[in-house]
Amino acid sequence: MPLGTLDRAPPPFFRQGPSALTKLAVCGALAFFLMVADARFKIMQPLRMVLATVLYPVQWLALQPVHLVQGGSEYFYSLNSAQRSKDEAFKRLGLQSLKANQVEQLTLENERLRKLLDLRLRLQTTGIAAQVLYDAADPYSRKLVIDKGLVDKVRPGSPVLDERGVLGQVTRVYPMVSEVTLITDRDHAIPVLNTRTGARGVAFGDTTTHADALELRYMAANADAIVGDLLTTSGVDGVYPPGLPVARIEKVDRRVDAIFARIYCVPAALVSGASHVLVLEPLSEQVPPRPLPEPPALVRNKRGELLKP
Amino acid sequence: MIMRQGQQLLLPANPLFVWGSMLAALALDMFLNMGLTGRAAWVPDLLAVVLVFWTVHQPQRVGIGAAFVFGLLLDVHQGALLGQNALAYTVLSFLAVSIQRRLLWFPLSSQSLQVFPLFVVAHFLELSLRMLAGGTFAGWSMLLSPLLEAALWSVANIILLAPQRRAPNPDANRPL
Repeated sequence: MPLGTLDRAPPPFFRQGPSALTKLAVCGALAFFLMVADARFKIMQPLRMVLATVLYPVQWLALQPVHLVQGGSEYFYSLNSAQRSKDEAFKRLGLQSLKANQVEQLTLENERLRKLLDLRLRLQTTGIAAQVLYDAADPYSRKLVIDKGLVDKVRPGSPVLDERGVLGQVTRVYPMVSEVTLITDRDHAIPVLNTRTGARGVAFGDTTTHADALELRYMAANADAIVGDLLTTSGVDGVYPPGLPVARIEKVDRRVDAIFARIYCVPAALVSGASHVLVLEPLSEQVPPRPLPEPPALVRNKRGELLKP
Repeated sequence: MIMRQGQQLLLPANPLFVWGSMLAALALDMFLNMGLTGRAAWVPDLLAVVLVFWTVHQPQRVGIGAAFVFGLLLDVHQGALLGQNALAYTVLSFLAVSIQRRLLWFPLSSQSLQVFPLFVVAHFLELSLRMLAGGTFAGWSMLLSPLLEAALWSVANIILLAPQRRAPNPDANRPL
């Protein structure tokens, strides 16, 4: 019986249940099993899906005040600032118009040239527009949650962009929402191309210098990389379409004793604070299958017998 | 019944209120994350406070099993390693069970001083698990989190015991 309450129900005499230590051992072991299965074998997605579905009503309820406040603040958004942002948008559109109008012609030209050279045509992808709901609460990783899920045919592995560049990749898909790992996450790597030099590399998420950054790893200490270089997706991974801006080089640190230069970049996309994003279909489904290796030719030895390959 | 001097005799706890407050704490945690603080590391975990509170006050109802399940739900919401919060809450709840007979004999300020190490242990466990699993260090602001949780102990005491502090025979002068 709890201390100091009028609870008149006596504690059960015999049905005490297992001791606290037993419960701790069982639950602790179960938690360890879950963690290993999740981190090492990645087989816990069905359980996650079930729990997320159970949790969805509570989540929806907790999200309502957030939406209400956001809607309310938009309502009180002054006419002045709305007009200012409209003017800015028009200015940006004007700056882009030259490039945008030439794209059609350039695409046509590119297509013809590629046909002429007998190259494969560039892959086309379609996208789904989505809204960012919130940052995932886990402070040990960099993830977002968007409002499109299995119902809207989002698939794990799809690249996610915002209006400035690549934001990340869908890593977990739930029925109504999905989870996007940002390019600044420590476990995320993205193949990039330096647009000035054409050198390819791999950029990894890195948070050692400041909150959201990338590191271009495995570049030789004397590699041609200067501050301000734009890195775009190289398209060799079969996930991201080529030519999307990823990051800009912020700092190049060349040490005498190291083989590799340490190159830090800031992401082009708005990794903290993006609100509207585009989820692309992963390219991997359109990439033709890798050809099977040809069987080795049979070789005869001097006596004319077939040798086993 | 042995009681501390000057302590009010409380009404029995309503199980609906107990479970409702746990769910509300979970929803409030989610609201803080989704609306205000994002993935900041200093945010106090309200669910942990409510969990320890009910484990101490109602050990017959809320225990280690409930802590495990709520931890698992929080893991799924956070998109964290599955089982990380579940393990932290299990240990937290076990420690709370082990001090529950002693804790309520102390005044409130002393109580929050005594639950502080529990929250420290839970957070440290979570941190070491994630560092082992290869996560990013969340920053030193996470030291603030157990402090805030211990400070919220007295607030939880006021809010969560309010229904039990009502008058047993309400009349015109004491409607509640």
